[in-house]
Amino acid sequence: MKSMRSSNRPSFPDGGRRIAAFLAALAFFLSTVEYMLPRPVPFMRLGLANLPILIAVDLLPFGAYMALALVKVVGMSVLTGSLFTYVALFSLAGTLASALTMRGLRVVAGPKALSYVGLCVAGAVVSNMAQVALARVFVFGPSAKFMAPMFLGLGLVSGLTLGAFTQVFASRSSWLAKVRSSARASEGEALDDQA
Amino acid sequence: MPLTDRHSKRLRKARSILRPLDVLIVASSAALLVALSIAVYGGPPSATLVVSTEMGEWVYPMSQDRDIEAQGPLGITYIHIGDGNAHIEDSPCANKTCVASLPISKTGEWAACLPNGVFIHIEGAEDDGEIDAFVK
Repeated sequence: MKSMRSSNRPSFPDGGRRIAAFLAALAFFLSTVEYMLPRPVPFMRLGLANLPILIAVDLLPFGAYMALALVKVVGMSVLTGSLFTYVALFSLAGTLASALTMRGLRVVAGPKALSYVGLCVAGAVVSNMAQVALARVFVFGPSAKFMAPMFLGLGLVSGLTLGAFTQVFASRSSWLAKVRSSARASEGEALDDQA
Repeated sequence: MPLTDRHSKRLRKARSILRPLDVLIVASSAALLVALSIAVYGGPPSATLVVSTEMGEWVYPMSQDRDIEAQGPLGITYIHIGDGNAHIEDSPCANKTCVASLPISKTGEWAACLPNGVFIHIEGAEDDGEIDAFVK
């Protein structure tokens, strides 16, 4: 019997491990691309490395999804050399907050009510606000509130941009369609997935 | 008319991407942004520079040119006030994002060196500028 829980998320025989690994590698690659691009405003990031996580919201079971988010944080911190500084802690908090928010929103609303645009804006805004909150508690104190408008604005802009791109990508990608259909084909042999 | 045709086609395309909850999320984020901006930037005209570090908070008048050395865990962050602008000149961090950021001059504007835990922002003139500097 197929379960009704996971809306239209495919179930993979290996629990999505292979796809998660591929998406993690993609996130590493996109982080390096991100660092190559000039920044119009300091702190401004497009968040390209979040594209794989965004796609994974509708693709991977929960465990593999969270693993992907964690691997992305570690990978990016290694690339920027900030793994053992508290900057990595900010990255971790932002990514975890946005990953859980996006997954939670998808539980509440299916793709018909909520596209990648809203999902990505919510994720970006929550990520940036979580980092401002962390800055308030651990580094700058009450002064951190002055950072909030700018980070919220940057989150809105980058969320809209990346969300729109992901929406177009997801609707056109033949790779994604192939992954979904091959997962569906093997669904019969799949053991119970722990999502 | 080809123009309106194209316009309506574009509208339909936008609608096919944007769903009800998308609009809700984007609109509430934008509303929050406006509210936060008013709260932060809507103060009285700029008067003082507040330097926050792990060790405390220092307040300097924006009207006097000055060089400030703020001690952080990595070393000293050099801040300069001149011609009504404040700017981080140098900081012992790796990425130098703070040094690259623009000078600040208006109420609510800020700059920061996260690795060295130094945050500077401008506050409005609420009390008279009698205090030259104090440590909290």
